[in-house]
Amino acid sequence: MALSIPLRRSTATAARVQTSTTFICSQCRHATLLRRPKRPYTFTQLITLSDGSTFTHRTTSPAPVYRSTRDTRNSLLWNPSSSKLMNVEEDEAGRLAAFRAKFGRSWDANTPAEAEATKKTEQTDKEAEAAARAAAEEEEDDNLLDLISSFGQEEEQAPGKKN
Amino acid sequence: MAASEPSRYLARSLPRAFVPTTRLQGFCLRRNVSDQASSKAAPADLNELESATSLTSKALSEASAKSFDPIARTKARKKQLPRSRYQFRSPKYDRGPLHPHQPPPPSDPSSRLYVPGPFSLPRVEQTYQSTVASDILTLCYVHNPPGFKPPQKGPRLRSWDDSSPYHKNRPLRGPRGGDVLRLLRKPINFNNIPQLERITIHSYVKQAAQENSSWLHVAGMAVQAISNARVETFKSKTSVATWSIAPGRDTVAVKAELRGEDMLHFFGKLVDVVMPRIKDWEGVKGSSGDSSGNITFGLEPENVALFPEIEVNYDMYPPKMIPGCHITIHTSAKTDKDARLLLSAMGIPFYGKMVN
Repeated sequence: MALSIPLRRSTATAARVQTSTTFICSQCRHATLLRRPKRPYTFTQLITLSDGSTFTHRTTSPAPVYRSTRDTRNSLLWNPSSSKLMNVEEDEAGRLAAFRAKFGRSWDANTPAEAEATKKTEQTDKEAEAAARAAAEEEEDDNLLDLISSFGQEEEQAPGKKN
Repeated sequence: MAASEPSRYLARSLPRAFVPTTRLQGFCLRRNVSDQASSKAAPADLNELESATSLTSKALSEASAKSFDPIARTKARKKQLPRSRYQFRSPKYDRGPLHPHQPPPPSDPSSRLYVPGPFSLPRVEQTYQSTVASDILTLCYVHNPPGFKPPQKGPRLRSWDDSSPYHKNRPLRGPRGGDVLRLLRKPINFNNIPQLERITIHSYVKQAAQENSSWLHVAGMAVQAISNARVETFKSKTSVATWSIAPGRDTVAVKAELRGEDMLHFFGKLVDVVMPRIKDWEGVKGSSGDSSGNITFGLEPENVALFPEIEVNYDMYPPKMIPGCHITIHTSAKTDKDARLLLSAMGIPFYGKMVN
């Protein structure tokens, strides 16, 4: 008898575990609450880029217009070939510009010099281009002549090499 | 004697079987047809049941059919019904597919899950449709002369050589040199040009566990402001002993997931306004990416403060609590190379060695 009682108990518990299948669920009422999606209020904002181009976008900021001083139009990373931006002065606060507006820009007369420099470079570029073109044409001729002259020889040489 | 004792016990016990039991017969579980016929108590319980079957429908009476006139009833009404009687309201709970009261689909404006929009055609989308898509299609064009057959590739999953009897019924082996089965890159066609799918903004705030939750609140507000979307918070999965972070205990991260219109507006703002203003920034590192077309980069707290939404009321945020964040751009490209091509066409600069 003493042996049989624990045996019976164990079987009974096992049966109970089998019958009550518990599914892992967060809600036991088998109903999911349909939550209304929450969205922050958005405004339409006009962004003015530094070159004057504008576009609108939706944003949480209530300011109707945003003027950017520094963006893809005047940063060197997006305009790597721009000569204007290569030596752009560090004037993010606009203090140098304010100084210039007040005391004139007589000291800052290097803009025409830049233009001249670009002209000079253009001239040199043209000369260099012409020279390069002539050289390329000559090379092409040489290459063509080489091709024609070497056309038959290679075939002749190839069996010779094998031998 | 030993043999006679059991017989004596048997003789005593035998007559007991024939003694009438004290139990009532009614408790007996076995039921007979004769029992039912004789017993009078059973029909009293069954009176409540209907005798006719429910399968055959009874014809409605003429009077009730004539009295049913809903139009006349509404016209006879002096006042309108309350507003809610004219309005469909979706059930608050989804009670499963078998419940008779089903919520409408989320695309239905009466649904509780309905999100209206899109309200605008973002600039990034216009640029993509007008220039970027056709550029990528041209750049990725590979000319195959007529009659060209691509060389047959080996199977992606290798079969086992039957050198051992244990190879039978095994699943196929993974690729050589690692278990990762990479995405299959199909040639880019007019109908699978890479495009932006979603952007994830994620911010891990370690001080939220070390100090107090205000860090997390500020981070959530900042991320919501820059992204136009509600944020989700996440608990730590790993333990970082030096930051005193335990898994499952500390809420440390904030994430916003952007799709569609929100994503495109965020992307345009990021590229056109924020990225050029970052100090001494070379671009996104060329080695970033998960080799399946998703590219991640980070923004420092001072860079997050450059967003126009944060700038416009910068005083709202405690300056040291503005979070940095990781921005993951998920594209539909299958390789990082294609994703980088797409993103650089859309205006994100890359630098350094490009790794696929």
